[in-house]
Amino acid sequence: MRGKSKKLGLELPLLPTTTVGSLPKPPHLLEARRKFAAGQLDAEELHLLEEQATREWVALQEEVGLDVLVDGEMYRGDMTTYFARNLEGFKISGLVRSYGNRYYRKPIIVGEVRWRGPITVEWWKFTQGLTRKPVKGVVTGPYTMMDWSFNEHYPSRREACLALAKALHEEVKALAKAGAKIIQVDEPAISARPEELPEFAIEAMRTVTRGVDAYFINHICYGAFEFIYPGMLELPVENFDLEMSNSELDLIELFREHPFSKDLSFGVVDVHSHVVEDVATVKQRIQRALEVLKPEQLWIDPDCGLKTRTREETIGKLKAIVGATKKVRSSLKESSKPAYQRSE
Amino acid sequence: MELLTASTGSYPRVGSRPEQQRHRQTYAQWERGEISSEEFERVQDEVIREVIEEQVRAGLDVVTDGQVRWYDPISHFARKLEGCEIDGLLRFFDTNFYFRQPVVVNEVRWLEPVIKGEFLFAKKVSSAPVKPIVTSPYTLAKLSINRRGVGLAELVHEFARAIAQEVSELANAGAELIQIDEPAILKDQNEFELLKNALEEVAASKGKAKLALYTYFGDATPLYDKLVKLPVDVVGFDFTYSPGLPKLIARLGCEKGLGLGLIDGRNTRLESERDVIEVLKLIAPTIGGKRVYLNPSCGLGEYLPREVAFKKLQNMVAIAKKARELI
Repeated sequence: MRGKSKKLGLELPLLPTTTVGSLPKPPHLLEARRKFAAGQLDAEELHLLEEQATREWVALQEEVGLDVLVDGEMYRGDMTTYFARNLEGFKISGLVRSYGNRYYRKPIIVGEVRWRGPITVEWWKFTQGLTRKPVKGVVTGPYTMMDWSFNEHYPSRREACLALAKALHEEVKALAKAGAKIIQVDEPAISARPEELPEFAIEAMRTVTRGVDAYFINHICYGAFEFIYPGMLELPVENFDLEMSNSELDLIELFREHPFSKDLSFGVVDVHSHVVEDVATVKQRIQRALEVLKPEQLWIDPDCGLKTRTREETIGKLKAIVGATKKVRSSLKESSKPAYQRSE
Repeated sequence: MELLTASTGSYPRVGSRPEQQRHRQTYAQWERGEISSEEFERVQDEVIREVIEEQVRAGLDVVTDGQVRWYDPISHFARKLEGCEIDGLLRFFDTNFYFRQPVVVNEVRWLEPVIKGEFLFAKKVSSAPVKPIVTSPYTLAKLSINRRGVGLAELVHEFARAIAQEVSELANAGAELIQIDEPAILKDQNEFELLKNALEEVAASKGKAKLALYTYFGDATPLYDKLVKLPVDVVGFDFTYSPGLPKLIARLGCEKGLGLGLIDGRNTRLESERDVIEVLKLIAPTIGGKRVYLNPSCGLGEYLPREVAFKKLQNMVAIAKKARELI
């Protein structure tokens, strides 16, 4: 898979560090979004604040020393609703309960799903214009869009998913055309119904990525891989981004049984916890991954998007990732030297 | 056949209209410690009255209290049972709803009624018969983390003993039909014996009440012949996952009452009268004079906006009315 990234002209160090996509919105932006929703702020003003927040996060990611950056999704609310609002064929529902006292609005497919034009491309260009490091394009995948939407239009889940795949293919093509070399497709729902993976989820991902010259990452979270592994390796992407720290690293055992044949973005910090992991803990997690994976296969990142953490927790966790990765890199260099040259 | 319409369980507690936001607002205030538990209880009672009234207005023959006080179907019971602690959030089957996972650390024991108070209140304020709902011992055990140091069979048995006690309390409180929710068995069909043993234990304490076992979130076709032999009076099925089920019922028949989950509780699309009546016509000959319930495939409270839930139920009642004329 490193062949692919080299061919695309990507210069990445061993164990590239990155984040999954979302970063916390500053409080004044959250307030602005609330005002915008209430009609008290116009779209232009909101946009300026989103750009400002994006600039700040790009600077912070550089300062921390990450290798592959994201735009932080300052302009997105819910990952499904954001794309649904920008594609043809969707309406947004009333409130649906998620857990406890939490509610969300769910997209409803009410007509043919179509790509109206670029959704995230301007944001990708804006962000890439701020840094020399590669910026990932990030889109929500067709299976998750289907599973997390009501469907009043298509006769089956399969047809809804494949229609979404066609529309998202256009978005991915537009990102690649704009220059994105790394494109992440978020599919947290992909293990919802394991039987659908061979039935149509793989086919949908093939539709999304077909003919697009980019290094594709598939982000999957919320567990249940044991049901779709190793079948999920058939998904036509170069890299899987998996939640590892939150699943107590039990996937490592799974990989001992069935070797992991692609690159892996290995989630090493828990995004649901306020506790900032220390460098030693993260280093240990990376070393465990190296028991079953080659260094050339491994990327290092948090379990999932960090938008629910505070700015300080986020920076702390990212520093732990970069610090631990640097240590592992230098010990790998050490151990690749002939014995007489090693420092210990 | 005698066709009745019923709720399958939960009903949305929050809606789009400002006055339908009260539950959400007071819940938040209560969590922040701004209002007393009594005040929050009072609002929950009001919302229960409302959701019962909505179900009655939609025309249902059998209603529920909407499970308005439930955090989720699993921790609502585990919280009040001895031996269980409550852990973090976990996805509830293949839905977008999350439940708190119980951790069983000691022998599971029933300490006090769990939903009897809820049932008595609903019964008092409802003009239609109220069906209380308990979660099945097998599902409770399967969705718990077992730190008890005993096998799954023992854990299921302990939950069964607790649920049997609750069922006995509900029966004594005047419940005529008690629903037992059993989604998990459709995922691990080879553990059917565990469910069977558990239900035998529960059925022994039902008194004068009838028991309805409701399965959902999976294809029940492979288990159909075993499910209809369980010691319960009604068996409920989720037809959205079981496309082959209508023909199977038509072929094998059913000695028991049926809960027909032909109304998709997880999609906003309204069912077509023709599709539902087609299934009812297909199975009617094998049903004879027995009672069947037309109901949503699952509770609506976690999966649909309130406005849609009401329309779904209204539509279901209209379809049932038409079906009674035609069949």
